[in-house]
Amino acid sequence: MSKKEKKKITNDWGTDVHLDIPEDEIWTYQVPGLAAPHINKPYKYYTLKKVLFVITIVIAVSLSIFFSVLALQNDTFKYEETDNGIQFSKFSNTGYLYELEIDYVSDIEYIPGNNDPATNFKVVKDETKPITSIRQFTLNCDDKVKTVYIGANVTDIDPKAFYSCWALQNIEVDENNPNYCDVDGVLYNKDKTELLCYPCDHDEYLRQKYGYEKELYRDEVTPEYERDIQTYVVPSTVKKLSEMCLNYANLRVIYLPEGLETIETLAVFKLHERVDQWSTSPSLQNIYTYKSSDVTDTHFTTKEALGEVYLSLPDGLKFIGSDAFSYNQNLQYVYIPSSVTYIGHHAFWDACYKEDGEIKGVNVMNVACDEETFATLTVGDDWLPKYDKGFFKKAVDMNYSAAREAVK
Amino acid sequence: MSILNKVKDFGTEIKTHWNTPAEGKYVPYKEYKDVIIGVGANYTGSKVLEYIGFWSSCFLIMYHYKLPYLTFSVIGLLNMPLGYISALIWWYVCDNLGFLPKKAEKKVYVAYGLMALFGISTLIFDYSRLFNQSGWFITTLNSFEGMSATACFKTFGTHFLYTGWVGARNIFWRKKLIPKYGRYKYGLYCDVIPKCVMVILIGWLPVYNIADVATRVWVANLLFATYNVFGFGNVLEECSKRISPNLQERILVRSYPVKISHIFNSILAIILPVFVGMLRYEWADINFYRWIIPATFCISAACTMFLAGRIKERIPQPPIEKKVQIKFWDGMLGVLRNKYLLINTVVGLIDALGNGMLPFATILYFYTFRLSGLPYSLLVALISFAGTPPDLLSPYFLKKFSYKQIMIFYQLSRAIGNAIIAVAMWTLGDNLALCGTICVVVLFFMEMTKTVPTTASHDMNVRIADYQMYLSGERLESFAGIFGWFTGPITTFVGLIIPIFLLKYGFNSNWEILFFDGSRRNIVVVPIIVDTIGFFLMSIPYFFWDYDNRKQNLVMEVLKRRAEVTEKKAEEEGVSVSGGYIG
Repeated sequence: MSKKEKKKITNDWGTDVHLDIPEDEIWTYQVPGLAAPHINKPYKYYTLKKVLFVITIVIAVSLSIFFSVLALQNDTFKYEETDNGIQFSKFSNTGYLYELEIDYVSDIEYIPGNNDPATNFKVVKDETKPITSIRQFTLNCDDKVKTVYIGANVTDIDPKAFYSCWALQNIEVDENNPNYCDVDGVLYNKDKTELLCYPCDHDEYLRQKYGYEKELYRDEVTPEYERDIQTYVVPSTVKKLSEMCLNYANLRVIYLPEGLETIETLAVFKLHERVDQWSTSPSLQNIYTYKSSDVTDTHFTTKEALGEVYLSLPDGLKFIGSDAFSYNQNLQYVYIPSSVTYIGHHAFWDACYKEDGEIKGVNVMNVACDEETFATLTVGDDWLPKYDKGFFKKAVDMNYSAAREAVK
Repeated sequence: MSILNKVKDFGTEIKTHWNTPAEGKYVPYKEYKDVIIGVGANYTGSKVLEYIGFWSSCFLIMYHYKLPYLTFSVIGLLNMPLGYISALIWWYVCDNLGFLPKKAEKKVYVAYGLMALFGISTLIFDYSRLFNQSGWFITTLNSFEGMSATACFKTFGTHFLYTGWVGARNIFWRKKLIPKYGRYKYGLYCDVIPKCVMVILIGWLPVYNIADVATRVWVANLLFATYNVFGFGNVLEECSKRISPNLQERILVRSYPVKISHIFNSILAIILPVFVGMLRYEWADINFYRWIIPATFCISAACTMFLAGRIKERIPQPPIEKKVQIKFWDGMLGVLRNKYLLINTVVGLIDALGNGMLPFATILYFYTFRLSGLPYSLLVALISFAGTPPDLLSPYFLKKFSYKQIMIFYQLSRAIGNAIIAVAMWTLGDNLALCGTICVVVLFFMEMTKTVPTTASHDMNVRIADYQMYLSGERLESFAGIFGWFTGPITTFVGLIIPIFLLKYGFNSNWEILFFDGSRRNIVVVPIIVDTIGFFLMSIPYFFWDYDNRKQNLVMEVLKRRAEVTEKKAEEEGVSVSGGYIG
C-alpha cells in the first residue's frame, strides 16, 4: 500500500468499518494496533504495582509540598551583597512590624513563651553589617509599616523602593546620612534638589501633627483641613520630582517651585481622597508655581509667604514623564510652559471625564508655544486627556499660544 | 449542478430530516437549531462567569480586593494536601457516575460530613492559637505573603468545608439526575438557581472593604469557595461534542452549529465593554459586578435551561444498571495504560513553564493601548474573529492533516508568535503605536492558527475518553487526574518561578505598576521568552502520536457492540434500563 493510500485510510472519517465481535468477547476484543482491553480482570503483580504506585505518589506529593513551601516562605529581611556594600532587597512583614529601621542587617528573633503574635518577636541588628543601599520595590505593597527610619550609611535609595506602601506615614533619615534627608517625613536627596518619596499615608501623619482626630471625607473637608493636610509645598531647591514620588497621595493642592525642571514618570499619579468608608475619588484640584527662592517649609500657610504665585506648571520646566499626571480627574487647569521639551506618553491620561454632557477636569490643554513650535517637541502617544465621545474617546482641544490664566 | 440547485437540495435535506436523522446519522436538524441557541446561551453564560474568579487577573480582585499576587499560590499550597486526598474519593465517585455500593456510599457521606463540620469549626474558632506563637510552624505561616497563621487555618478549613459540601452534593445529584439528563449536563439542573444568587451576592457583599489584608484574604476565599460550589460550565457544548457516535457528524456539529452558537458571545463581547465604558471608573467600577454581570448571566442562564433538555449526548454505553463498576485501583491502573494520556501529560508538564505569567493580551489592551468601551470591544472582536473562518474549514483541515501534524504546527506557530512579541516589546517598548501594532498583528495570526488545533484537540480528548472506555469499560475522565499528581512537584515549583520573578519588578496586588514602562517590559517579556521555549519543546511529544480515524472507528464499533449486547441481556433479564445508548 502506498504512503498516500495509507494516509487516506487513516484520515478518512467515512472508513466503513464493521467488526463481527462474538457476544462473549465484547469485553476482551483487541483492536489491531491498540492495547487490549482490561476490564474486571486481575492485574499481574497487582500488589507490587499498588505499592510502587503509592510510593511514587507519596514522593511526588511530598516533593510538591516541600518545594512550594520553600519557594513561598519569605524571610522578613533579605539582603544582597553588592559592589557598594549590602543592599536591602526585600522586606516581608511579619504582620506586626509597624516601624522599620533600615540601618544594619537585621533579623527577627522570637521570644519563647510569649504567645501574642503582636509582641512575641524582636528585631535583632548586626551592627557590623551596615546597609548601604535599598533596592527598587523592597517594600512593595506593604500595608503595615507606618514609619521607616533610614540610617547614616544608606547612600543609594531607589525612589521606587517604597512603592505602594499604603500605611507608610513618614520616612525619617539619619541626619548624618551624606546623600539623603527628610523634610517633615518626606524623603529628599541631601541638597533637596530631588523629591524622592511622599509616603502614601502621609496625610495620617499630618493629621496627628496638626491635631485632627479623624480623616475627613471629601464632602466634609474644611478650608483648614485642606490647608494643613491636603496642600503640599515642594521646597524651592527642588529641581526634580522623581519617579512615582507623589503617587497615591491625598493632596488637593501642590505648590511647585519655579526652578523645577523635571517631573518624572508617574510622579503625580492618581492622587486620591476618601469619599466615604468604602470608596475614594481623585483629589488633586490645582497645581501652583511659586517664585520665592527660599522656601523650606512644606506646610502651606499663605500664598504671600511663597512670593508671587501663578497657576499650573512652572516656567522653566523641561521634562514631563509618561503618566506623570494620570487619573487626576479633579485637576482643573493645566498650562504647558514654553520651556517644556519632552512630554511622555499618557502624561495626562484620564485627567478628564464626561458627566451630564459636560467635560470635567482638564477640558482644554493650554500650551504656551504656537502650533509650529509645539510640533518640534518630543511628545509621546496619547499624552492629552481624553473623554468619551459617542462610543469612542476624543482628546481635549489644544489651546496654542495661550496666555496663562491668572490665579483667582 | 448549479449553486441554486445545491441550495434547493440542501433545503430539501433539512426539511426531510428536520425531525428524524438521515441514515447513518444520529442528529436531526432540529437539534442543530437547539445546539445553536442552547450552546450559545450556555457558552455566553459561562464566559460571563470568567469575569468572576479567585485569581489575580479578575477585575474584582484587581481593583477591589487588591490581594497580594503570591497569596493565591499560598492558598493553593494550603489546599494541596486535602486536595490530593479528596481527589481520590472524587474520582471514585465521578467515574462510577455516583452509583456506589451501599456501604461505600455511606462511608463516603460520613467522610464528607466530617470534613464539612471541621471546616465550619475552623471558621468559628481560631485553631492557630493552640500552637506556640513563637514556634517554627506559626512563624512560617505568618511569613506567607498576605497571610497570617489565623488566615491560614481559616483558609485550610474553608477547603474542608468546600470539599465536604461539594462531595456530598456530587453523589446526591449524580444519582438523582444522571439517569434522566446524562453525565454532562445534569449539573445545570441542580446548580443554576444557587449560582444566580451567588453571582448577585459576589458583587453586592462589600467584603473587599475589610481593612486587614489577611482577614480580607480568608473571607474572600470563603466567599469564592461558596460561589464555586455551584457550577455553570459550558456543559451543553460538552454534550454536543458527544452528540453522535459518527465522527464526521461530530465534527460537523462542532464546526457549524456550535461555531455559529458562539456568535451570541461575540455580540456580548462587543456590547459589554461599551456598557463598561459608560461607567465612570470603567472596569474598576463596582457597578460592573453589581448590575452588568448579574443581569447578563441570569438572562443567559434562563435561555440555557429552556433548551438544555433538547441537546442529547449519544455515547454508546451500557445502561447504568449494567455498567462496569470501577474499583478504585482498577481506575488508577486503568488510566496509566492509556498511552495518549501519557503523551498529553508530558505536553502539560512542559506547558507549566508558562504558569504564573500575566495575561499578555490584557496588559496590551489596558496598559499599553489604554483601551475601553467600543474600541476595546472592536479590537477584541477583531482578534477573536480571526479564528472563525479557519474554524469553519475545520472539517477540511482535519481531513487533510493528521492530528499529529496539526498539533506540531500549533506549538511551533505559538513559539514563533511569542518570540516576535518578545522582540517587539523588548526593542520598541516605549513606542506604543508601533510595538502595539506588531503585537496586535501577531495576536491576530496566532488566533487565526489556533482554532483548528483547538477543535482537533477537543475532538481528540473525546476520542481519548472513547479509547479509555474501550480499554477499561468506563471513560475514567476523573481518574485521569492522577497524571497531575506525578507532574505536580515540577509544575508547582516551576509555576512559582514566574510569580516570584514578577515580584522583583514591582508586580503585586497593585497592577498599576504596569503603567511603568521599565517594569512592564520585564514583567511581560521575560515570562513570554520562557513560554516560547516551552512551545518549542511541546511539539516533541506529538511526534509519538498515532491515534487515527481508523483506530477510532474500530473503537466505536467495539463500544457499540458492547452497548448492544449488554442492553439485550438486560432486557432478557427484565432489568430496567436507563442512561444507556446503543448508537
